[in-house]
This record gives sequence, structure tokens and C-alpha cells, in this order.
Amino acid sequence: MSRPQTYRLVWTVAVAALILIYPFLVAEIKVHLAVEVLVYVLFAISFNLLFGYSGILPFGHAALFGIGAYGTALILNHFPKIPLPLTLLLAISFSFIAAALIGFFCVRLKGAYSALLSLAFQMFIYAVALKWRSMTGGDDGIGVTLPDLHLPVLGIVSMKNIYNLYYLTLIIVAIGILACYVFLKTPLGNSVICIREKDMRAAFLGYDVFLTRLAVFSVSGLLAGLAGALFVLFQKFVATSCVGLDMSLTVALMTVIGGSGNFFGPVLGATFYVVFQSWVSSLTKHWWIFMGMLFIVIVLYLEGGLISLFKSEKIRLWVSRLGK
Amino acid sequence: MSILRVDNVFKDFSGIEVLSGITMEIFEGERHAIIGPNGAGKTTLFNIVTGLYKPSRGKIYFLDKDITGRSVHKIARLGLSRSFQIINVFPKMTVYENVRNAIVSKFHHRFNWITLLNQDKEIERESNRVINVFAMEDVRDALAFELSYGRQRHLELALAIARDPLLIMLDEPTAGLNSEETRDAVQLIKEVTGGKTLFMVEHDMDVVFNLADRITVLKDGMILAIGTPNEIRENEEVRKAYLGRR
Repeated sequence: MSRPQTYRLVWTVAVAALILIYPFLVAEIKVHLAVEVLVYVLFAISFNLLFGYSGILPFGHAALFGIGAYGTALILNHFPKIPLPLTLLLAISFSFIAAALIGFFCVRLKGAYSALLSLAFQMFIYAVALKWRSMTGGDDGIGVTLPDLHLPVLGIVSMKNIYNLYYLTLIIVAIGILACYVFLKTPLGNSVICIREKDMRAAFLGYDVFLTRLAVFSVSGLLAGLAGALFVLFQKFVATSCVGLDMSLTVALMTVIGGSGNFFGPVLGATFYVVFQSWVSSLTKHWWIFMGMLFIVIVLYLEGGLISLFKSEKIRLWVSRLGK
Repeated sequence: MSILRVDNVFKDFSGIEVLSGITMEIFEGERHAIIGPNGAGKTTLFNIVTGLYKPSRGKIYFLDKDITGRSVHKIARLGLSRSFQIINVFPKMTVYENVRNAIVSKFHHRFNWITLLNQDKEIERESNRVINVFAMEDVRDALAFELSYGRQRHLELALAIARDPLLIMLDEPTAGLNSEETRDAVQLIKEVTGGKTLFMVEHDMDVVFNLADRITVLKDGMILAIGTPNEIRENEEVRKAYLGRR
């Protein structure tokens, strides 16, 4: 193994180990924060699949997050007999179908038009969530009771226990991220990137620009819906904030802060955002001001986002300095 | 057998007629060039044949199939490929990745989401073969935009030919090259398109007379003459309209 590969392996193992034993190292309140981080990490990854890899700016991505969230909450309340894995599966199929429908219109357009159309769809779903009180509870939202998870070896696992929820979320988010990572390495993933680079050139090579974009939009919607579903398990509650403009903006900010050009940029961005927000909002009510200033600084002076601070050359430089 | 048939095609852009009644045929195995002054409608004809524009009137047949108004990728998949007058490669991808994009399409793996791309030995082998044919091994891992202009031209050509199409359409393949590079490019085009059907737009007369079996002269959106290089050279009208001006 070459040296960079060894570094990489050591890093990966260290980070994975830390994530696995994390709940035992910190206070319970921090475990709650970690679950929130995990949910947003998955959401940001799904956002970046479109923004970074497909060149589509989905300005209303919360629509799909919200459909996953409301789907989960409604199934949990109306059909409590359905086992939890099936509930999640149903919820993400809703968001997948919704993404295919929304994408059908959005991926035909380019740039700002596509972004604004996806925003329009999000506002439409927001309006439905707000006005259809009998179904969605309007701005009161819906509270849910989490069912227990029946596992073959472990038996009954209660989701009310935050430690169990942490590991469940961790496993699902890890699978989601891995799936997304592998997806980008397949020929279809390559088609997506090739179309982002030059859609017309790709079309002249035989690539179906519309269908490829629609496929990636739907996959991204599925992942966003999964994040939404996990969000409900975590909050035990769903409200219009899940499909609101704030949610769409938040995920866009996380992705840009972390760095959209790198696969793990959104992971870092979401982690940083949630932790920073939690820290600053404990000091002042006006945490938005600081987040906004930070965003401006990053956009202006740190092209490539926070992840670019961890470029391998830089790390190697630091390591070599430490060695001296 | 005719590979491409253009049947009485008209095209106007908001009232300005760019093509008026073009009828022509490209036969299997021939090397056909279109020449004509700037604004004659050469590239427009290319764009109509490849599906980028729809003709205002008239039909396009590819292998006797009516392809008028079909979308670009569907026409491309039938076995028609083109290069561009202005370099049109994937600038931020390496030469290898550029060629691979064409090969993935050739093997119909565009929608494959089951296997990993870099595990596919067949695609890898074929991409490397194409890179060898175009003598680009030394820049295999360089990003396309980092290449010299001349080599970007080669890559442009490679993208058009990599899929092994039935009809290769080259839009001014020597645009912007100096005389030495042009000679190399002509040699390369001869090598890589041997035995294939070639349809090209070209400004450089030496290139045209060197490469083409048949020439169509276009002027003001109409066909002035179709013939062998010798016939075209001798044609009075063509001389007056085009060659004489040089």
C-alpha cells in the first residue's frame, strides 16, 4: 500500500470507530444532536447528488424531505401495525414517486428556471400541508408514537431509547451514503456527470439527457425522503417546517458550506452547521446572523467549502511539519 | 446503398431562409464534403441532419428510416456521429474519461446502475484502443482543457469516431489548425475513417480535394453543384461563385 492509501485507511478506521463508540463518550443530549446531524448529512448528500453532480439546483428540495416525513408520520399514526422497516420503505417510495413527478417538469429546464420551478412545487406541497388540517394537522403538525423494532437476534428494540435510535439512524444513513457513493461509480452515475459537464455533447454521443436527469432526480428524492422519514423518528413529530422554505435553504447552505465539489463536503457541512447552530443558539437568539456571515466568508474566500481545508496536500504538509 | 437522404429540406430562422430545398444523398462508403461560402447553410444542414434543429419543411432519411424531428440522442444511437467546428469535448474530464463516455454509449451501458464503471474491462480495453489509434497515450490522464489546441482537435475527432458509427459527420475538422497540423489531421482522418462513410463540412480546399470522393457546393442555402472533385473544379458556376474568389 502506498503512503496516502495508508493514511486514508487509518483515517477511515479512526473516524468509523469514533462514530461507533460516540454515544458512550458523551452526554445523552449530545447523542440527540448526533442523530440530528446524521439526518441532515443524508439530506445534504441527496441535495448534492443534484447540485454538485448533476448541475441541477433543487431549490425546493424540502418538498421531498417533507413527503418522506409526512408519509412516515401518517403511516405510523393510521397504520400502527405496519412494521417500521416497511413504513420507511413506503415513505421513501412516496418521495421517489413525487420526485419523479416533480423532476419530470424540473429537469427539462435549466439553471434558475429549474430551481424556481422546484421551489414552486415545494410551496405547493407546503400549502397542502398547511391547509389540509384534517390530514396533516396544519401548523400544529402531527405527533407520532414510535413503534418498537422487532429484530431477529436482538429481539424487541425500543426506538424511544435514543441510543437505539442513534444506531438505527447511523446504519440507515450509512447505507444511504454508500448507495449514493456507489451510484456515482456506475455507468449511470458517469452519465449524470457527463451530462452535467456538457449536456449537448452527451446527447450527440447518444445519452438521453432528460431521462438520465430524471433518474438522478428521483434517486435524490428517494434519499431526501429517507432523511425526512428519519427526521420524524428523531423528532417524533412532523410539522410544516419540514416542507418549508427554511428547510430548503438550510440544506443548500449546508452543502455550500461543506463544499459541493467533494462527495464528503455535504457531510462535513451538515455536521458543522448543526453543531455550530446548536452552539451559537445557546449563546444568542440571533444565530442566523453568524451563520449568514460565515456563509458569506466561505463563499467569498473558501472556494470548495470547508472540506477544501482537508485537501490531502495540506494535511500532508501539516503532518510533515508535526514530524519536525 | 444510400445511408443518408436529405429530401427537399427548407429551414428558416424567424423569416430568414437559410436552406431552400436541399436534396442530396450520401452513399455507403463514400466521402462526401460540403463546401460553400460563409453563411451558405452548411452547419445548419448538419444541425438538421443530427436532430438539433427541425427542418421547416422536408424530410431526412437515415438508412431509409424517416428521422425528421427525432431527438439528438435517438438519431445518434442509430449510428450517426458528429464532430464540431468549435471544440466540444468534456473539458474537465481526462482524455481517457472523454473517450470512455463515448464507449459507454457504444456498448449501451448508459443506464447501467448495477455494475461499477471502472471494473468493466471491456469498456476499459476499447477506450484504450481508441486512445492508441489516435496516438494520445501520452496525454491519457490529462484533462481535456489542458491539451494543446491541435490535440483537442484530435480528441474531438476521437469522440466522433469512437462509437464506430455508420455515418461520421465532421464539421470543419481542421478549423484553426496551421498547415502542418492540418496535414497531420488529414492523414489521421484518412487513417481512422478508412472504409467508413464520411460526410464533412470543410473550408480548406486542399483538405476537401484530398479527402472527398464527392463534393456538394452550397450557396445561399441552395445546392449549386454536386460532383466529383474534378467536376467541381471544372464547373464554371462554382468557380464564379466560390473558388474564383480565392
